[in-house]
Amino acid sequence: MAGLKIKYTKTERARQKKILKVSERMLPLFEAMEKSLMASVNSISERIEEIREQIEQNRLAARDWVAVMSDSWVDISNFISINKIISKPVDVAGVRVQQFESVDFELMPIGEETPLWVDDAIILMQNQLQLMAEIKCLQEQIVLLEEELLDVRARVKLFENRRIPNAKIAIRKIGQKLQDDERLTIATAKVVKTSKQKELSP
Amino acid sequence: MSNLVYLMSSLPSLSFEEIPPISLSEFNQDAKDQLSGKHFQILESTDIQMDISNTAKSGSGAVNILLNEVYQDISELRKAKRHNRQAKLERLPILVTNGNPLMREKQIMHYLWEELDSIESGKRFSMTELMVYKLKLQILWRLSSFNTDAGAAVLDSVVNPSKKEEVQ
Repeated sequence: MAGLKIKYTKTERARQKKILKVSERMLPLFEAMEKSLMASVNSISERIEEIREQIEQNRLAARDWVAVMSDSWVDISNFISINKIISKPVDVAGVRVQQFESVDFELMPIGEETPLWVDDAIILMQNQLQLMAEIKCLQEQIVLLEEELLDVRARVKLFENRRIPNAKIAIRKIGQKLQDDERLTIATAKVVKTSKQKELSP
Repeated sequence: MSNLVYLMSSLPSLSFEEIPPISLSEFNQDAKDQLSGKHFQILESTDIQMDISNTAKSGSGAVNILLNEVYQDISELRKAKRHNRQAKLERLPILVTNGNPLMREKQIMHYLWEELDSIESGKRFSMTELMVYKLKLQILWRLSSFNTDAGAAVLDSVVNPSKKEEVQ
């Protein structure tokens, strides 16, 4: 509040009242937005945890046979790669983010003499890669939502700590000043009136 | 012939699922040193990783038939799974195809090993025995390449390439 310059006028008081009214109306909206963004970030984080658990479960399920992937006859990494991750734009808590849709895989045709385990490994790898891609999309969503959350929190603080208290103080001070001015005017008028009456009386 | 006898006598004996006692390159070098060019060529063309689209290979007919039929069965198993139907196998016992992918590969290799045993029996110091030896050695090297840590690393390198980069 220090350094706040106030114009002690009725117009300024009206302006400050308007600022207060708008700020008091906006604050709950920003608070609701903050809650919504936090809830979205939390639910996305939970989803990421669920996917991580799924990835771990898949990994554990393959633990008994993962040794076959080091087969000297096959380089499994040649069989599968990601072309691109397909996503679509959606609004989450008012923020435009990319939602995971699917993964477009580049799959090398499997020759007839290729060992059978390659088929199972490709299915497992496709599952894991899809889940990893979904995590990547969700992490990007969190980054965007957190940026927005920071912005909204700054606004909430601005309204809570600056705009509303400043407007209230300004209105109070202007009110006091205007009252003082009014009293002074009345007192001056009375003094003038009394002195005029004294002059007129014989 | 005497060279073949010498070669066969100098090679260590093989048993299923043991650590290979000799490397494939050592085996090839010994064979090259001892065999005639023609015999070595026959041996060189013998490979357990058969290309079934090109079955006109020299060497033992019985070995080629075995490998050809086994690979045809592998192909049939793949097709049957794709079309969700029962596989009609020529050679492989259906039990061999049960279990997880690792067990399946080991069972197929074990089946091949036993079939190779029956092919070589009674053919001491012959090219067939030498070819069977090579195929068995290939089986052992393949089985010895199955390693849980190495397999997990391969899976990670495909599924999580950033992890692979971090390790490097």
